[in-house]
Amino acid sequence: MKFTVNRNAFLAELATVQRAISSKTTIPILTGVKIVLSADGLSLTGSNADISIETFLSIEDEKAELTIEKNGAIVLQARFFNEIIRKLPETTLTMEVLENNQVHIISGKAAFTVNGLDADSYPHLPVIDEKNQLKLPVRVLNKIINETTFAVSLHESRPILTGVHCILSSAKLLAVATDSHRLSQRIIPVEQAMEDFDVVIPGKSLLELSRSFKDEEELVEISIMENQVLFKTKNMYFYSRLLEGNYPDTNRLIPDNFNTEIEFKVTELLAAIERASLLSHEGRNNIVKLSISSESVVLYGNSPEIGNVEEDLSYKNVKGDPLDISFNPDYMKAALKAFGEGEVVVKFISPIRPFTLEPTESDATFIQLITPVRTN
Amino acid sequence: MGKIQELSEMLANQIAAGEVVERPASVVKELVENAMDAGSTQIEIFIEEAGLKKIEVIDNGEGIASEDVLNAFKRHATSKIHSRDDLFRIRTLGFRGEALPSIASVSELTIETSTGAEVGSYLKLVGGKVQENRPHSLRKGTKITVENLFYNTPARLKYVKSIQTELANIGDIINRLAMSHPKIAFRLVHEGNKMLTTIGNGDLKQTIAGIYGISTAKKMLLVEKADLDFHVNGFVSLPELTRASRNYLSIIINGRYIKNYLLNKAIIAGYGSKLMVGRYPLAIIEITMDPLLVDVNVHPTKQEVRLSKEKELMGILTAGIQEALAEQQLIPNAAANLGFKKKQIERVTVEQIRIPLEDPELNGNDERMVEKDGKLAYDAQKGHFYVPERQSETTLAADEATQPFVVSEDDFDMSDWVPRKDHYLLKKTRESTVEDREEPQAVIHGKKESLSMIEEFPDHPDLAVQEMNSLAEKMLQEKNTQRFPELEYFGQMHGTYLFAQSEEGLYIIDQHAAQERIKYEFFRRQIGEVTADLQELLVPIVLDYPNNDALLIKENSQVLQEVGIYLESFGQNSFIVRAHPTWYPKGEEEQVIREMVDMFLTTGKVNVAKFREATAIMMSCKRSIKANHHLDDRQARQLLQDLKKCENPFNCPHGRPVLIRFTNQDMEKMFKRIQDPH
Repeated sequence: MKFTVNRNAFLAELATVQRAISSKTTIPILTGVKIVLSADGLSLTGSNADISIETFLSIEDEKAELTIEKNGAIVLQARFFNEIIRKLPETTLTMEVLENNQVHIISGKAAFTVNGLDADSYPHLPVIDEKNQLKLPVRVLNKIINETTFAVSLHESRPILTGVHCILSSAKLLAVATDSHRLSQRIIPVEQAMEDFDVVIPGKSLLELSRSFKDEEELVEISIMENQVLFKTKNMYFYSRLLEGNYPDTNRLIPDNFNTEIEFKVTELLAAIERASLLSHEGRNNIVKLSISSESVVLYGNSPEIGNVEEDLSYKNVKGDPLDISFNPDYMKAALKAFGEGEVVVKFISPIRPFTLEPTESDATFIQLITPVRTN
Repeated sequence: MGKIQELSEMLANQIAAGEVVERPASVVKELVENAMDAGSTQIEIFIEEAGLKKIEVIDNGEGIASEDVLNAFKRHATSKIHSRDDLFRIRTLGFRGEALPSIASVSELTIETSTGAEVGSYLKLVGGKVQENRPHSLRKGTKITVENLFYNTPARLKYVKSIQTELANIGDIINRLAMSHPKIAFRLVHEGNKMLTTIGNGDLKQTIAGIYGISTAKKMLLVEKADLDFHVNGFVSLPELTRASRNYLSIIINGRYIKNYLLNKAIIAGYGSKLMVGRYPLAIIEITMDPLLVDVNVHPTKQEVRLSKEKELMGILTAGIQEALAEQQLIPNAAANLGFKKKQIERVTVEQIRIPLEDPELNGNDERMVEKDGKLAYDAQKGHFYVPERQSETTLAADEATQPFVVSEDDFDMSDWVPRKDHYLLKKTRESTVEDREEPQAVIHGKKESLSMIEEFPDHPDLAVQEMNSLAEKMLQEKNTQRFPELEYFGQMHGTYLFAQSEEGLYIIDQHAAQERIKYEFFRRQIGEVTADLQELLVPIVLDYPNNDALLIKENSQVLQEVGIYLESFGQNSFIVRAHPTWYPKGEEEQVIREMVDMFLTTGKVNVAKFREATAIMMSCKRSIKANHHLDDRQARQLLQDLKKCENPFNCPHGRPVLIRFTNQDMEKMFKRIQDPH
């Protein structure tokens, strides 16, 4: 194997596959990046227990300045390989595989010889039937990911809740995530060209996926297999495992009738919640209290050891019964951040029932649910 | 008139009592040791009020002749040594001739004794003064009663602790004495309550069972090791059975219970990283050596001894324990851990002989069971096994492991033959090493070993016969690695525990601990390999040592130089260090040098790998997968594969267990598929 390539272009690809390479694994070769050179270009692969990423640098890509002298393959330790490439002096570099899986890296006057591993011993990536595809713009997929993954559980004690439940049916894609304290659900209409599916994709994988996209305007093709999902863009194959098990039926959790409704500007409410949480974070139980009456809406934060905060909130509209409700401000913060700008309507039933947040111009496509804290 | 006068004998005895008779337990110890020295086979001890009111020791020893009885209470009068030479060859527990007069001087003492040949005697002393001395009839043996201990030394009485404490001390002493002499039957009774009984049939394990309980005794391993000077033998506990203090380490030298810090350390060193931090094993170690090598004349209580060749002894002890543990499968039983009731009754183990279905060559050959003497042959033409006649040319005599195998058939089918022979051979070796231990698994393991061996050579039926010998040898060596079960992974729980099954049951593996162990064994080797590169210091480090240490350091500067510490003399007892090896952690250079020199001063050696063991443990912990981490099947299986290759796959470097096991029987019991017999 021998090739010359633009350093920055190569580095960008390397950074992408490194998302899939973890330093902690039981199979040592997986701490490496697999480099395969063919007549069409250069492909890099990284893999861990959850995801595998394969990127492709085409020989036709002008920025990459790729010239191939001899095909071949090698696996190199990802951590220091990245550092080497990053610190090379010139804009291009040449890599050549010598005997015994040694690799010669030359850039300008600097020359490295590093030990690699035989690419044949690298585990094979799953083979996925690419016919069954759903096409989405990257921008849309990113939005769904940002609106749901923050709500997944981080504990493997209930593995199924560490994923985002994605259902495709009747030309709608529904994504929902919950850690059993809060829930976030987004529905988008799609032009359906594939069979219905019902899968749970690990939240961690989706986060890495959204960070791996380079071009927001690209289309991403989603293919699903029994226990794997493939996200494919022009230059990247992103594989993730699917979670096994039954996702709880979250549909029944979202209430229809409410007794109290208030509208807020998202940024204003978020700022107030952040202020109140300053004290609640220091206290023993991290809660804030919202007191709603027809005249005023007041947010309290109280930590007996430290002090308290009280803020008269500005709001758009309030209707329904007066209500005092306590909740964990962190859930509220994360929920509001997912809305971005705009206005939100918060709907309550009672102090001990979950409340919802929706955009005011809602057509019930994005809804969040937060459970309150019962105080005595 | 001169001021200096000789003390009266009474006073001298009372002073001596200060050393010898520290507390009731010391009285018990002295009296029981006397009884043991008298060659008793049964010793009974009756205590009241933790010995303050009454201590009664009855033995069936040789007794004291009536003309000797009074002499026994003279200071420095003894029957145990006669000449100066005897002092260096002490085989009895006592020899100083101080105990009886000392005890008598601080109590009311009654002795009834008889040699069995003539009429016995009765002697009563109060505060060391003879009150009564008359003939008396008694069976052979001696009965000594000590009452009102310390009645005339109120200061000593004041320092006697609570009844419980004193009683515990007495119990402790009798425990150790009983363990040091399993051939003597002991009975300890406190105010009518039986505290201890040993049967005295010479079986140390049964004695241990009498003292620590049957379940404990079952978890004790036999240790045996000897060289020209020492013979070490005894029992140590499995690493899963530990105590929070070192008090359960009993070292017995030539029948005498002693305390020795270094030997305790050697026992613990035998466990390596198998013990949890702050936990210590139970151990009863009997050491037999030439009395010339040990000096017990250090302190009147004789618990401290001076040993010659102490280091060699430590080495043997550590190695012996290592070997004993290495043979064991150290997976703690989960059901026992949870405190399920385990049957205490000895079970008769029955093993169903199985058809080796896994045998790839099994194809309807006429098989006959191997004869008891282990001779078996295979007829290639007819394709079956038979027991050969000795002269037969075309047969093979497999005469245990001692004789090389002979075969004249070229197409001799090995793989058909291997399993039975190996199975037998392994079973033999197992039996001889395992001895009386109740370990049904051992046999089953033997079988598995042989089977997995065939799997390794299914493609080499024509393997040269000569290689068979080495094969068998190799297999015995591999016994060590194969004591770890063949685990078949089937799932992960909470991203933390791996589940695996084997023929014997269910195993639950802590994934972090498992990888920590694998990485630790890797780093442990690696960190010892440091370069000799030195970093110069602008401001040198000055080290001061006391005179004796400084001399030792100067003498052995070579040892320290080998690990990169160059000490230059700098004045009387000071040294200067101008450079240090590059691997020292930043900011801790001086501390590391001091610690390594200390290590040298205490042990006489410096070992970088050992010094950096803590670093290796830390590195292995940090670089291992944590809990709450999903593993796919491939990774989990790889982990179990790697674990199997570990030297000690059973504990993480901190000593916590890596895996636990539910045996099939435990499972069946839990689901009430089998009932506990009543």
